[in-house]
Amino acid sequence: MTDAGHAALAGAPFIEGIGLSRAYGGVRALHNASLAVLPGEVHALVGENGAGKSTLIKVLGGRVRPDSGEIRLRGTSVSFSGPEAAHRVGVQTVFQELTLLPSLTVAENLFLSREPRSRLTHLIDRRAMGRRAEELLTGMGIDHIDPLAAVEDISLSERQLVEIVRAISHEPDILFLDEPTSSLVEREVVWLFEQIRRLRARGTAMVFTSHRWNEVRSIADRITVFRNGGDVGTFTDISEDDAVSLMTGRHVETLYPPVPALTASAPIALETHHLASAHLHDVSLQLHAGEILGVGGLAGHGHRALFFTLFGADRATSGTITVAGKQVSIRSPHDAMKRGVGIALVPEDRKTEGLLLRMSVRDNMTLAILRGRLSRMGFLRRAEEKRLSSDLSRQLRIKTAGPHIAVGSLSGGNQQKVLLGRWLLAEPRILLLYDVTRGVDVSTKAEIYALIHRLAAEGKAILFYSSDAEELAHLTHRVLVMREGRIAAALEGNAITAEAIVSAAVRDTSPASGRGTHAA
Amino acid sequence: MTSTPLQTSHPADLTPPPSGASTPQSSSGIRRFLASAERRRVLYAFAAAIALFAIGEIVRPGFGSFAGIRAVLVVASFVGLVAAGQFFVILIGGIDLSVPWVLNAAAILVVTSSLGRNAWAVPAGLLTLAMGTMIGALNGVGVGVAVLGVPAVVMTLAMNGILEGLTGGLTCSSCAAYAPPVIQAAVHHPFFGIPAVLFFWAIVIAVVSVVLSLTTFGRATYAIGSNPRASFLAGLPVRAITIGLYALSGFFSALAGITLVGFGGQAALGMGDPYLFQSIAAVVIGGVYILGGRGHYIGVVAGSISLVALVSVLMAVDMPEYGRNIIYGVVILVLLLLYGREAPEA
Repeated sequence: MTDAGHAALAGAPFIEGIGLSRAYGGVRALHNASLAVLPGEVHALVGENGAGKSTLIKVLGGRVRPDSGEIRLRGTSVSFSGPEAAHRVGVQTVFQELTLLPSLTVAENLFLSREPRSRLTHLIDRRAMGRRAEELLTGMGIDHIDPLAAVEDISLSERQLVEIVRAISHEPDILFLDEPTSSLVEREVVWLFEQIRRLRARGTAMVFTSHRWNEVRSIADRITVFRNGGDVGTFTDISEDDAVSLMTGRHVETLYPPVPALTASAPIALETHHLASAHLHDVSLQLHAGEILGVGGLAGHGHRALFFTLFGADRATSGTITVAGKQVSIRSPHDAMKRGVGIALVPEDRKTEGLLLRMSVRDNMTLAILRGRLSRMGFLRRAEEKRLSSDLSRQLRIKTAGPHIAVGSLSGGNQQKVLLGRWLLAEPRILLLYDVTRGVDVSTKAEIYALIHRLAAEGKAILFYSSDAEELAHLTHRVLVMREGRIAAALEGNAITAEAIVSAAVRDTSPASGRGTHAA
Repeated sequence: MTSTPLQTSHPADLTPPPSGASTPQSSSGIRRFLASAERRRVLYAFAAAIALFAIGEIVRPGFGSFAGIRAVLVVASFVGLVAAGQFFVILIGGIDLSVPWVLNAAAILVVTSSLGRNAWAVPAGLLTLAMGTMIGALNGVGVGVAVLGVPAVVMTLAMNGILEGLTGGLTCSSCAAYAPPVIQAAVHHPFFGIPAVLFFWAIVIAVVSVVLSLTTFGRATYAIGSNPRASFLAGLPVRAITIGLYALSGFFSALAGITLVGFGGQAALGMGDPYLFQSIAAVVIGGVYILGGRGHYIGVVAGSISLVALVSVLMAVDMPEYGRNIIYGVVILVLLLLYGREAPEA
């Protein structure tokens, strides 16, 4: 695109979707949706899970063909046979599902199908590829990802960064980003927004989705609200309250309910002394019955190790765990779930670590009590299973066509409820909740918050990790901030703010250590 | 029942359930039954068996008669027994390549340890089943214990080689060569014109199906086959169940070995060789998902019958063995190509 071209097109949409519809099976994912993206604008799509944002991006990015409707590119009607066809006309998309090939290196992924060739042999020039990948990454301010590392060996957030870098490296005219920030930590989000501003200055049009309102507010030029598969309005200025009521038909003030009061005399439910494992060093903490203890900090600083060690999924190398005053030995999740211990872990990655996607909603709900109260002499108590699972669906308002439906066909929010429900059935005393609201829409978030508060009020002890500092600040009684596998700070009462959590997480981190310093 | 957190009232300030959230249950039961791919495949396998009997009747009249069908079913029952074990390990995404020599060692062990005498038939049979179960459990330990973590293909193939060597080296050629008459009768003796082994197979079908659909062990097996990591994090004893499933595979191979010597009267070196390929083929034809997590034994039964019917038809048209092997291989590849193409996730 030349500058003259920009001038000519200013005001006219770069890409336009008109009356797009798309159904999967009997479900209308997108219904008569329209969107116009102007050159050099950052356009946010907001809406609940299942409102059609991702489907619209898939359609405009060439990944999915619409059942009806029209796509216009610079005023000309187009139809994409696949993402490659979209790439050829300058449309790049970072899809929600990561598309990197796990066993290839970062460099190989970045230059996939456009590998630098040796002039002599025309074979792939691996040295040049590594060098150019390094230049590309450092040129965008990322110096902590090794271009020669296999993608499967780098963290989820690093993969997301590589995915974004790859899309930007094609110098697109239009860049779609579907929930780019959901697996990023604060610093990486700052980095991403710098890239977005830089591209905007160059005239690139960008469309992104996010469930975090402060991100939308800080970067978007225009906001389009989606509901039930269609757009309900595009705004240059809209308050969160108004946006949420458009998205859901309700108001935002109920999102964070007041934290339930903590009884001073509540007994200690869980205590650790100098607990250590592979990525965890000398962690001593106390968790009281009825308490919501937040855990925060940058990704990769030992939160996961803490949760998985407490649950017996990682092996503790030293230190002790005490439950209700008694020292316990937890060497497997089975030990953690035993009567007298009663620990439950809801893991972060529900698709790989939580759910059996092909199995039914009911099978998934009752998995943790399968060998407990659902078993009579090794036989399944099927009537009891039916009753428990339908009660649970009702209580948690899980939207499904029936308990026999494969859980993989549910929306993200409902999948998360199924997983939470599984652990409620196990009647734990201590709940370890690891980033349970990630990728979940506002309504479901509100329901999960209310559920957590209700459980705390009933005397359950809750350890709550979140990558969202705002959420930690609003939901918890105390917050422990972790850094390099240790507890770096403890915040209480009015000292708990999102800013305090973030600053405690990054304090003293030397720039040389590399982690999260790519904004340099 | 103690009071659960679910029975407390729900705060009223949450979103009301959206109208029309609960879709009415879809129309007919048959439609819903056929909505599942593996159930459709079970039907295909039975349909294939029926079609093959019809074809057999055309190329050689009498093939589809009562006696003809009975002969096919008896041979299918041996495949079906081995395939039961193979099915259990394939359900968790594993495979058992030690089938041929577990079967063969079992056949030889039951003959030699009983010295062909009726009085020793029961202890010899139990000893043989214990041997098969133990070898299977060893396979399971190698595959299922994280510190060993041997891939199933390698572990069971090595076990097959070890057993082949042991059996060849330890077989005493002067020992009894015939199975005790009581074991032979247990296979052949007809009730209402149907050999006992078919009644026995019917019992195995019922037991395997009940174990998988009505017990917590069965549910856990499907869960581990669907997602071993999630199953572990839900507190399931993944390692113990893995060992148990491989032990079952060893048990069924040994059981097939005993019934085969009962059927033929004699054990021979190499008698287990065809059963490796046939057991895997029966599982695949029966619509079991080769990567684990889905499938029914009744499909494996249909697979065993149609496989044996196919072999019999080919023999009826005087197809030599190499030709039959080529056709086996093609059938399996085609089925894997077709069945592997269904959409992976919703």
